[in-house]
Amino acid sequence: MLDWFRSLDRLLRGEATDTKTLLRGDIDVPLPGMTVLIILLGVTYGLCMGAFALMRTAGPAYMQVSASMAKVPFLFLLTLIITFPSLYVFNALVGSRLRFLSVLRLLIAATSVTLAVLASFGPIVAFFSVSTTSYPFMVLLNVAMFSVAGLLGMGFLLQTLHRMSRIDEAIRRRPVEPIFDETGGTPLTATSEPVARELSPLEMPSGQLLGGHVKTVFRCWMIVFALVGSQMSWVLRPFIGNPDEPFTWFRSRQSNFFEAVWHAMINLF
Amino acid sequence: MPQIDRLLRGGSNADDPISISASFWHLVVCVVVFGGSYGLVMGAFSGFTGDHGLQLLFSCIKAPLLLLFSFVVSLPSFFVLNSLCGLRRDFGEALKALAATQAGLTVILASFAPFTAVWYLSSDNYQSAVAFNGVMFAAASVSSQFLLRRYYGPLIRRDSRHRWMLTGWLVVYCFVGIQLAWVLRPFIGDPSSPPQFLRSDVFRENAYEVVFRLACHMLIGN
Repeated sequence: MLDWFRSLDRLLRGEATDTKTLLRGDIDVPLPGMTVLIILLGVTYGLCMGAFALMRTAGPAYMQVSASMAKVPFLFLLTLIITFPSLYVFNALVGSRLRFLSVLRLLIAATSVTLAVLASFGPIVAFFSVSTTSYPFMVLLNVAMFSVAGLLGMGFLLQTLHRMSRIDEAIRRRPVEPIFDETGGTPLTATSEPVARELSPLEMPSGQLLGGHVKTVFRCWMIVFALVGSQMSWVLRPFIGNPDEPFTWFRSRQSNFFEAVWHAMINLF
Repeated sequence: MPQIDRLLRGGSNADDPISISASFWHLVVCVVVFGGSYGLVMGAFSGFTGDHGLQLLFSCIKAPLLLLFSFVVSLPSFFVLNSLCGLRRDFGEALKALAATQAGLTVILASFAPFTAVWYLSSDNYQSAVAFNGVMFAAASVSSQFLLRRYYGPLIRRDSRHRWMLTGWLVVYCFVGIQLAWVLRPFIGDPSSPPQFLRSDVFRENAYEVVFRLACHMLIGN
C-alpha cells in the first residue's frame, strides 16, 4: 500500500508523467493500486461530506455517513465505466496510437489526481459540515469542491495526453531524431538530463504535435464526463442528507443536478 | 527575545532563501504563547471576579486555537496543490514562511494588548469593545502581510507560481478562519451573560449567511 501512495505522490509531483518517464513506455501507474487508492480517498471525502448528517437536531444519522463513504468512490468509478468505452472507441476511430491499457491508465491516473485533490479538501468540508446547519450552503460548498478537483484532474489528463501523443508522434515520424524536452530547446535522450525548469503535471509542454482530432475527442470526453458525473451524482443522491428528510439510500427520480444546484443557490440567497 | 526580534525583522539575508532561525515547532509555541496572551486581555472586558474569570481562560485558549486550527485545516489542500503545480521541493520553506507569518501576527497582536486594556478601562460599551478588537485583529493582519512578503518573496522570485499558491492559501485560510471565528464566539464576553466557551446557538447560522444577510439588508433594505 505504501508503494501505491508513492505512485500517487509521483503522479502529483509530475515524475510519473514527465518526458523521461513517458519515453520508457506507457504511463507508469499500477492500475490495481490506483483503483484501491481511488476508493480509499473517495471513502475519506465521503466521511467528511457525510459528517453533516451527524449534526442533525433530530439526532445523528450514521447511515447517511456510511452511505456517503460508499457512494463517493462509486460515483467516480461508475462514471468512468460509463464514459470509458465511448472514449476508447472514438480515440481509435480518429487514429490515436493510444492503446486500450494506455487510455485506461491515463484515466485512472487522472481520477486518482482528482480524488487526491478532493480528499485534501476533506478537512475543510468536514469543518463546515460540523459547524453549520445550512443544507443549501453545504450543497454548494461540496459542488464547488468537486468542481475544483474535477478541473484539476481534467487539466492533468489533458497535459499528460499532450505529452504522450507528442512523444509517440515524434517516434513514429523520425525515430532516429532526438526528442526535445518540454521547453523545445534541449535534446532529450534516455540518459540526458533536461536543463530547463521541470514542468508541473498541469503545464502545457511546448512544441506539441498532438493531432487535432485526438485533442477534440478528449475535450469532448471531458465535457461528457462532467455531465455524466453531475447527473450520476444526482441519481446516487443523497450524499449530504437533507436534515428535513429521513435517511434513504436513494431518492426518487425527479428533477436533475443543475436544477437542484440552482434551487440551492436560491434558497441560500 | 532575540528569536522574536529576528522573526519580526524577517528574512534579512538576500542570499539565504528564508532566514528563519526558529524551528517550525518554536513558531507554533510562539503562536500559542503570544496568541494566548492577547486572548487573556481580550477576555478581560467583563472583569476578573466571579465567573467572569472563566472568560479570560476561554479567550486565552480560543485565540491561538483560531489561528492554528485554520492553519491545520487549510494545510492538506495547500500541500496537494503545491505538488500539482510542481512546487513540492519548496513546500518546507513555504510552510515555514507561513508559520513564521502567523507567529509574527501573534507577536504583533500581543503588542496591541495594552491598547485593548486601556480601551476596556475607558469604556463599558460591549459593541465598541467588539469593534475595537476587530480593528486590532485587522491591524495585526495587515502588519503581518509585510512579514509574509519578506518571507515568501524569495520563493516568488525563485518561481512565480508561488504567487498563485500564496493567493490560494490566503483565500482558503480566510474562508476557514472567518467561519471558525464565528463558531468560537464569544471571545470578549458580554457582561450581561454568563461566560460560555461557545454560544448555545452556534450552529444556527454560518458566518457567510450572516454577512450576506447583513449586506443585503444594507443595500436593499427589508
